[in-house]
Amino acid sequence: MNSIVKTFTAAVMGLGLLAGCTNLPSDSTRLTERTAPITMNSVVFSDYNLSRTWDGGIFGDGERYRLTVAQHGQRATATGTTEVYAVLRNHTDYDYQVEARTQFFDQDGVPADVKPTWQRLTVSANSLATYRELSTSTQPLQYRVEVRELN
Amino acid sequence: MFRKTTLKTVCALATASLVLSGCASNIDNAKGKPSVYEDVSTTGSVGGVGIESQDVVAVTDKMMRDMLANPLLTGRSTPPRIIIDNEYIKNESTSVVNTNMLTDRLRIELNRAANGRMIFVGRHFSDMVQKERDLKRDGTVDGGTIRKTAAQAGADFRLGGRISSLDAIDRNTGTQSRYSQISFEMVDLELGTIVWSGLYEMRKAARDNVVYR
Repeated sequence: MNSIVKTFTAAVMGLGLLAGCTNLPSDSTRLTERTAPITMNSVVFSDYNLSRTWDGGIFGDGERYRLTVAQHGQRATATGTTEVYAVLRNHTDYDYQVEARTQFFDQDGVPADVKPTWQRLTVSANSLATYRELSTSTQPLQYRVEVRELN
Repeated sequence: MFRKTTLKTVCALATASLVLSGCASNIDNAKGKPSVYEDVSTTGSVGGVGIESQDVVAVTDKMMRDMLANPLLTGRSTPPRIIIDNEYIKNESTSVVNTNMLTDRLRIELNRAANGRMIFVGRHFSDMVQKERDLKRDGTVDGGTIRKTAAQAGADFRLGGRISSLDAIDRNTGTQSRYSQISFEMVDLELGTIVWSGLYEMRKAARDNVVYR
């Protein structure tokens, strides 16, 4: 009876350890984002410490995040240029200093507009922050926003 | 016996002097560290609290995009004539910065991106233009191939601005903090009204003793 209890305890502890192993680290090569196809009109975290997902682990798919994208979109300004916005949500108890940039592409997917520049942004603990970027061109554009933690 | 001991001593001395002679050379025959190119839009290996390349790039990029979204500047049927130079940009901050870096990058990037929506007057080149005009009017040179105008172009708007800062030092840790504020305003050169304003602010803290030149 005693040995059954011991085996059961060991099995529970082992499972507990394995459950801990299912959290893939940010430098893992098995993260979904590393090989995900490039999509237009999207916001991505290029820093996997902020957000990452994986599939096919011991306990199936997994996800780990500190920041998420609450919403994003684009609209035309009064002069015909494009304004892109992304609302970031901080799920942690700590302020996060991040930087974001927008790459613009024309309707054929060809890179357009000027060279993107990183813009700093603070997302306060458990709060929202909005990133905005303007294009310089008046042609219809698609966008891809990249977010990373400030170095 | 005596000769054997002497021989051993001489050998030991000779070995020691050979080893020491290796240390005596002043030449450090090692490969040098090559220069490293760094991305101008990110913080480099040397960073302090002053205005640095990434700030110049970020400020001018933000202002350029903002100006192009302003209907008073780019929504006109006739493109406005604009002067962007450092004549009316004042550096009142403790940061050592050449304000030409801000105005030159802003004008050039804006001129490239505006693509005819704004016309830039090169007032800082007016001497050069006047000399050539005088030569043409004197008959020293011919009239060129473009056109003749009564005078050089007058401008509709001109950029003014200011850089200011607020410093703080923690004497216990040596940490230095600087809040910098860079403001730009586009002024109507007939009315004196301000048709566009842009503000960029940042606060940096560092313990490194970086010297800006």
